[in-house]
Amino acid sequence: MSLTCIIVEDLQVAADYLSRCCEKSGQLSVKGHFAAVPEALEFLNNNVVDLIFLDVEMPGATGFDLLDQIAYSPKVILTTSKPEYAFDAFEYNVTDFLKKPFTYQRFLDALKKIPPATAEVADNTITETGVDHIFIKSDGKLIRLNNEDILYIESMGDYVKFVTGEKKYITHNTIKNLEEKVSKQSFIKVHRSYIINIDKISNIRENGLFISGKEIPISKAHKQEVLKRLNII
Amino acid sequence: MKMPLVYNEKPEHLFPMGSETLPKQFIFNEKMDKETLYSLYTDDFGYIEEIFATTLQHFEADFSAVQLAYENGNLDDLKRAVHKIKPTFGYTGLLEAQSLCKNFEDQCVNAASIADVSNEYVHIKNVLLEARDIIDHEYTRLKAFNANPL
Repeated sequence: MSLTCIIVEDLQVAADYLSRCCEKSGQLSVKGHFAAVPEALEFLNNNVVDLIFLDVEMPGATGFDLLDQIAYSPKVILTTSKPEYAFDAFEYNVTDFLKKPFTYQRFLDALKKIPPATAEVADNTITETGVDHIFIKSDGKLIRLNNEDILYIESMGDYVKFVTGEKKYITHNTIKNLEEKVSKQSFIKVHRSYIINIDKISNIRENGLFISGKEIPISKAHKQEVLKRLNII
Repeated sequence: MKMPLVYNEKPEHLFPMGSETLPKQFIFNEKMDKETLYSLYTDDFGYIEEIFATTLQHFEADFSAVQLAYENGNLDDLKRAVHKIKPTFGYTGLLEAQSLCKNFEDQCVNAASIADVSNEYVHIKNVLLEARDIIDHEYTRLKAFNANPL
């Protein structure tokens, strides 16, 4: 098992200890340490990880606030010094609850509770496309996204992020695969990492276009096709 | 009610005479729970030195947050600041300090205003300072020990 993880922890010594446990286990690759929820959220909006080690009480926002705001559901192991959070941990369906400080053996026991990553992958594949909508599996649910609600789709390695005006959904898939599946009337690939909803473009510049304030690059290879699809007068 | 302990100076009495000599097996200050330290780090004294160093590097900032919250009369911030610093003492084997932080945190939860915890604050502040001094002292000893363990 090799999983990616982040550590969200405001006490440096606790983060260092945890990081060392991860390294020692040989099972986890730590992608970052964040001392506050906003920084962690920013990272998670652009990167997918398998596991979050999450402290609960941090400045500004709690670990549960983070869980309320992320667009997908990585496994979570809570790390706190307050056993009172055990009930909330249960409510949020976290994998385990480590009371600080914990021993390395206790850390390993928590890791054993994480189901194989392959189960998650199978659960997150796109399932159905229609003329005006797409169904994706995300967070263990089938979610219908109407084409008109999708602003763009962004590659995140082995995952893609569907961005709507309201929310972001991350699912296991690739831009290449989606290119074949989404409605060609509504969507066009503009870059190896982006498929956009053509009706959502607000303006275009030399090498990029804007959708809802986000600049999306247009690659040379796709530029002619994009311009052809626009209603230029 | 238990009277708060006040330490006005570096608690030299906590470091028994002779503890400056370096034993082959490092003997921690009696206030540090060696079972806890060994359960967390086995006998990796280099790693324990790192843990103590990291703790000391961040201690002042975390301690200042406690002081600032009290001076501002902000009970919620005071509780949060003590909650944050509390596990530090778990990682350094100072279990009594950790437990006293927990008690103080609970007192903050039950208090109506900062005035309700003013006596306890004096006590916890001294507990924190004493703990810092112990960690600092043990860090120095451990560093010397690790530099020349034989």
